[in-house]
Amino acid sequence: MAVFSQEVVLQGTSICRGIAIGHPYFFTLPEEMVPEYGISVDAVHEEIARYQLALDRGREDIKSLQDRLRRECIFDGVAILEAHLLIMQDPMLTTHVEEQVRTTKKNVDYVFQMIMKKYQKKFDAIKDSFFRERFKDIQDISRRILGHLRHGAHRCLKNVPANSIVFATDLTACDTAEAQNDCVVAFVTCSGGATSHAAIVAKAKGIPYVSSINFEQIAIEKDGWVVVDGRTGAIIVNPSEETLLKYQELRNQLHMHLEKLTQTGKLEAETYDGYGVQLSANIEMCSELDMLHQFGGSGVGLLRTESAFLTKEQLPTEEEQFAIYRDFVEQMKGLSIVIRTFDLGGDKYLRNQQTIESNPFLGCRAIRFSLREKEVFKAQLRAILRASAFGSVSIMFPMVSSLSELREAKAILREVRKELEAKQEPIASYIPVGCMIEVPSAAIVADLLAKECDFLSIGTNDLVQYTLAVDRSNSNLSELYSPTNPSILRLIRLIVSEANHHGIPVTVCGEVAADPRFTPLLLGLGVHELSVASRYLPIVKHAIRNTSIVAASKLAEEALLLDSAADIEELLNREYQRNAPEDRLYNLFNMNL
Amino acid sequence: MKVVRKVKVKNALGLHTRPATHIVQLLQRCKSDVRFIYKQDSINAKSILSILTLAAKKGTLLTVAVEGEDAEEVMRKLSLAFETGFGE
Repeated sequence: MAVFSQEVVLQGTSICRGIAIGHPYFFTLPEEMVPEYGISVDAVHEEIARYQLALDRGREDIKSLQDRLRRECIFDGVAILEAHLLIMQDPMLTTHVEEQVRTTKKNVDYVFQMIMKKYQKKFDAIKDSFFRERFKDIQDISRRILGHLRHGAHRCLKNVPANSIVFATDLTACDTAEAQNDCVVAFVTCSGGATSHAAIVAKAKGIPYVSSINFEQIAIEKDGWVVVDGRTGAIIVNPSEETLLKYQELRNQLHMHLEKLTQTGKLEAETYDGYGVQLSANIEMCSELDMLHQFGGSGVGLLRTESAFLTKEQLPTEEEQFAIYRDFVEQMKGLSIVIRTFDLGGDKYLRNQQTIESNPFLGCRAIRFSLREKEVFKAQLRAILRASAFGSVSIMFPMVSSLSELREAKAILREVRKELEAKQEPIASYIPVGCMIEVPSAAIVADLLAKECDFLSIGTNDLVQYTLAVDRSNSNLSELYSPTNPSILRLIRLIVSEANHHGIPVTVCGEVAADPRFTPLLLGLGVHELSVASRYLPIVKHAIRNTSIVAASKLAEEALLLDSAADIEELLNREYQRNAPEDRLYNLFNMNL
Repeated sequence: MKVVRKVKVKNALGLHTRPATHIVQLLQRCKSDVRFIYKQDSINAKSILSILTLAAKKGTLLTVAVEGEDAEEVMRKLSLAFETGFGE
């Protein structure tokens, strides 16, 4: 590891725009940061039970791994894992750990790690490299057990010093959700793509985020300065006096620009030739609604119902859900809210969800999960229907990939409605029902879906990922993940024209909706409503107010004639530069920085 | 009853993971306390981890101490396992 005293620029991928200047804070892997704390005599039993559960789970992992290897006829692997199973029954890992918890009265993860460290020392002292290597097996087992132990007591970004730039190998949505704006000023990670859920949460909070930075190569002084340019994806370690000043000025400029935009709350979201757009918000938490009202959003275009429960051990009951949904609906103050049913699976799991699929994004997620777990689905629909009596509610189903799924979901909704009506529960008389179009198969049959929906909503993040067959969290492929790909434009045009034909509105609620450079294109393609994280309402409103529907239509026509993602992107950039030249957050042309 | 004797590690790679697994499986059902003594270490022979820390190569002479009601039978089985190189 080299120590630099000079300025070093590392180039990564931009995930969330913005400029930050702060000190590094290293957010390490769970096995590296095991806390040490004392436990009471009464808690010893519980602590040991927790350890046994972790061992059980570790054993289950290994057994299912063995099954897989057996199917693939890798019998050597099966035999090695057999040894792992036996090591997990080793007295040093069972009775010895338990004894140590009893005598030291310390938390078991700490005790366990201390024992493992002792072993590591012993192995490190062995001269014979063949035997020294055996420690790898033990390390593997140790990580597995610690992983299960630390599952319940996960690492946390709540108590981070002010002005921290968080460096991590990777982040989860929970991590970014816990970060507080005044403490965490930026995120820097080795891996993670622009539309991972961690990134979506970071964007909602407006925290600059750069990924694909291999920060382990260089030594970063803990109290040294780091500049993060979330627009270009660069980070600068040990910035010179001059660089610091330049970025401080830029940061202030951006801040002032955004401040000015936030004054647009009362202004209509319409183009300068008078074409009105529904500009609504994607919401996860009730606290975000203040911002929605302040910025004059026209409603909630997407309520992600699963977010509030992701950190819980199990799904909430109908009553718990009802309380939360009613709260949301009431706080809308008459504005409409689209409640999307659970989108679980993919990269969003409940903490203790056991089934691990080898390819979760092509697995049992979202509506597929709901249609299988019918009782969970019905409980959620009951809660939503009951909440509908308190305002203007729509229901949306995520990741529909065929008409039969939509029909099945609607049939269950009708059934639940009948049950509630029989019990004289108050329910709104009309509840629009729509589906998300985020799978190419759904886009292709948009005409069939439009016939049986009251609205369609395009989830561009997944639509891009599935259409281009690019994993959106794979940073090696980030240059292939391109929402400006001609195939995506054609799909959006197809969906919009089918929806128009059947007289229903289309919303775009993916990340592109929040990128002002896409605003004229989407309007020109005929999209009626944009739904964005509340924070982006002013920026997008500004973009709407600085274009005309005539220019937007012409732009869309021109874009549809281009044959590459890069050309289309350039076209959008040029148009935005013309429409909003003062915005330095998105305009990177003709600039020194 | 206590039985003590010296055994020699005969298999090519010494007491690595697989032989250690073999020994532990062999001892799983025995009632006696079994210890391997090598240099200044005395370890529980029912623990794979402990056996591995001995780093006993081919040709190593270990002292085996078995104490308990089935000590003789255990020693017989164990000696045989060492003698045949754990089937390697």
